[in-house]
Amino acid sequence: MNVIEINQLTKYYGKHRGIENVNFSVEEGEIFGFIGPNGSGKSTTIRALLSLIHPTSGTATIFGKDCIKYGSELRRNIGYLPSEVFYYDHMKVIEVLKYSASFYDDVDYTRIQTLADVMDLDLNKRIDDLSYGNKKKVGIVQGLLHEPKLIILDEPTGGLDPLIQQKFFDLIRTENKKGATVLFSSHILSEVQKLCGRVAIIKDGTIVKIENIRNMQKHNYKKFTLEYRGVIDVHHFNLDGITNLTLNENTLHFLFKGDINRIVERLQGQALLNMLVEEPNLEEIFMHYYQKED
Amino acid sequence: MNILKQELRMGRKSLIIWCLSLAGILVLFMLIYPSISSQLEDFQKVFKSFPLEFQRALGVVDLKLDTILSYYQFPFTYILLAGAVQAMNMGVAVISSEVREKTGDFLFVKPVTRNRIISMKILAVLVQILITNAFVFVAALITVTILSAEPYNVKLFVLITSSLLFIQIFFASLGLFVSAFLRRIRTVLPISMGVVFIFYIIFLLNETLKDEKLGLISPFGYFDLSELSKTMNYDSLYLLLWFVLVGLFIFLTFRLFARKDLPSI
Repeated sequence: MNVIEINQLTKYYGKHRGIENVNFSVEEGEIFGFIGPNGSGKSTTIRALLSLIHPTSGTATIFGKDCIKYGSELRRNIGYLPSEVFYYDHMKVIEVLKYSASFYDDVDYTRIQTLADVMDLDLNKRIDDLSYGNKKKVGIVQGLLHEPKLIILDEPTGGLDPLIQQKFFDLIRTENKKGATVLFSSHILSEVQKLCGRVAIIKDGTIVKIENIRNMQKHNYKKFTLEYRGVIDVHHFNLDGITNLTLNENTLHFLFKGDINRIVERLQGQALLNMLVEEPNLEEIFMHYYQKED
Repeated sequence: MNILKQELRMGRKSLIIWCLSLAGILVLFMLIYPSISSQLEDFQKVFKSFPLEFQRALGVVDLKLDTILSYYQFPFTYILLAGAVQAMNMGVAVISSEVREKTGDFLFVKPVTRNRIISMKILAVLVQILITNAFVFVAALITVTILSAEPYNVKLFVLITSSLLFIQIFFASLGLFVSAFLRRIRTVLPISMGVVFIFYIIFLLNETLKDEKLGLISPFGYFDLSELSKTMNYDSLYLLLWFVLVGLFIFLTFRLFARKDLPSI
């Protein structure tokens, strides 16, 4: 079953493009990554899902129901963590969390304390005394405390130190194992790589590709590093399937997608000092998607 | 109800300050009354020596400064003015603050409909207006009763004092409409001060011009205190107009907000 289904979703802010014909769906129980640089339309898509904004055309459904029409009902089962969190400044953390909990039925109030302990958050501080990272922790607790079936994270890790980030990822994984579906938007690919199964790549408001992370890394691309003794003839590697070719003194880097034997053929008779064939990280693959049209 | 409670909590401090200042100013002005009541006839002569247009603008054309209530309407005009600013502040701020303080991403993703959020916020404004009015009413009643040597016209007192309620509700709903209409409001006070004073100036101008159509524009004219003491009742046409406009503003607030996009942070 698809928890989220987005069909031809388009949003224009006046003449300014937000997103255009976005299509993807998120299956129940998966952690779905949503990557793209700033301004590519990640937040616009998410805000439309939460009915914070109204799409110009197209539809989006959550749990099979239209997300605008049934917005308030659907939001009962959604936990949302915005990229930047803002709360009522003069309130204490615990007051904000209790206010947040008061919107949901059957909230387990002991969860506030449990989550706060995990995230190492002081509940008795005032919001305006909190650092950016600590505000983010309030956001995490607030987003998870009603045990939502769908967790939407919009660039959630900004401001969190690596230790807390790790705890946060563990928390998301735990919720996921308990059955929550996660939509994880980010421009930091390594964290998507760590957490997500499938990923949608968005660029300039349109989805460039949706792929399984493992396929993306293992079956398609190899990252080559060749160290030469002497001068390198770059034209030698003028071959279909090679991208991101860079030359550094006598070291050559490139990504290759296709039959590996063709590279081996080209390497015969070359004077190599060293050669590395690796799995590319997502970032490198990603740059490739982005450069394609430039 | 949680939204209402939250709104009242957040507005508590400013409400207390407004109540104390409104009542304080009114009481202070009224305390001058005993010391000048003996000279009121002289004041009246001074006013009568002004040009007629000027007298009208001051609302002293048919002035008979022989009772405490005819004096009372002077300070109360300023209470109306200040109260209008307070109410419009609340109206403009109550929804737009969620955007300005960037807390919209918290409240509007909760499982409540927008209409419910807006209803609760409007209710919160109404409650605060009622508290303000109750406070001012009691303070005024005590002051006037103590200061008045003779019995005064209670009905007129109630009419004058209650006009604050009508003025405040009008400006609060106008403020709500303005906040629904504008995309993003950075500061509230300049808007509410500006609008209230423009309406007041229109009212003052019309006191001189006595143009019937112009009179329809300014809500201060609907509850003209110097007219009240003559007619001893609110003008039913103006009251109807007030009702229609307030209804329209509230209706439009709901309509506009239902389709409004929350700007991203």
